[in-house]
Amino acid sequence: MAQGNIYDAFVDGMRKGWKVATLNMLPNVVLAFVLIKALKLSGLLELMGQWFSPVMSIFGLPGEAVTVLVSTLFSAGGGIGAAAGLYTHDIMTSTHMSIVMPGIFLMGALIQYMGRILGVAGVDSKHYPMLFCIGVLNAVLAMLTMKWLIV
Amino acid sequence: MSENSHLFEDRPVRWTGYVSLIVVVLFFSGAFSECTGLMSCLDFTVLNGSFGKIAESFSFMGKGGSGARHGFLFALSLVPGIMLALGVVEVAERLDALRAAQRLLTPLMRPLMGLPGIAGLALISSMQSSDAGAAMTRELSEKGLISETEKAIFAAFQFSSGSSITVYLSMGIALFPYLSVSHLVPLGVILFYKVVGMNIMRLYLHFVAKKEVA
Repeated sequence: MAQGNIYDAFVDGMRKGWKVATLNMLPNVVLAFVLIKALKLSGLLELMGQWFSPVMSIFGLPGEAVTVLVSTLFSAGGGIGAAAGLYTHDIMTSTHMSIVMPGIFLMGALIQYMGRILGVAGVDSKHYPMLFCIGVLNAVLAMLTMKWLIV
Repeated sequence: MSENSHLFEDRPVRWTGYVSLIVVVLFFSGAFSECTGLMSCLDFTVLNGSFGKIAESFSFMGKGGSGARHGFLFALSLVPGIMLALGVVEVAERLDALRAAQRLLTPLMRPLMGLPGIAGLALISSMQSSDAGAAMTRELSEKGLISETEKAIFAAFQFSSGSSITVYLSMGIALFPYLSVSHLVPLGVILFYKVVGMNIMRLYLHFVAKKEVA
């Protein structure tokens, strides 16, 4: 079963890539760009920036970066889109990007994965809250690691 | 899901597995990015290439775009890289790279993760596809190869950054050009904290079990 033509494998993989890109990534990224634009036009982004600046500054991030962390809970593509949108609007720098990067994935799509991973694997639902906490905690620790040790 | 049963058999790993595992790690690491000639063909960024320039300075995304239209072009610009990355991963998988990784990991699993070696393939697979990992975990559990406690510990690993490698290489590449560090650094941090997270779960379950007995 693991045999087979290398060329075919390459094409199969690329086909998977096309599907992931167009069906999972693209809609989430487009939505994230729209949300960032709407938040910016409405002035809400600036307000969020002020409100969340004390919390986000723990990670060395601007307050607006809270939108990245909220979007990523729904889908990593959303988090990526929000980060790219904030970079485009000159709100986040490349240092901010490096700090937030592991956080986007470690707490990414937890809401989706509740069904897709925990549900499918048949994990006892009494563990769900702890598993959510671990996902968010991993992200927090990883962003602090990036801030203190790496960037 | 019984079609997955063969996955737990101890079939020997072909030599191509180890070779392709090493090559694929180097391919995405950027180790050959500065090389010229033949060696440069072993680098992801080099093979991903670049879009042509419009008016000698901008790519087709132009400058100053925003909203859905800019988001669409931005997303579109990522599609070739995602296709290339998953193409290479698929080839490596067919050449047994996943099994090679599993074989190398097996001795570490009990001490580092509190899981039996038999869960190795599910663990490696979960980093490529969260769906495959979850289905294999269910099967391990139904066959009694892992306990309920081990399953909960395993879930902590899979749940945080599901499909780690695939998602990082597909969606993450969007941000590679904006990073101030090598793109491998955040991935390393992610994998490190996945293991930390499962050990927090291990401690938590240990504590809960003690409390229930008392």
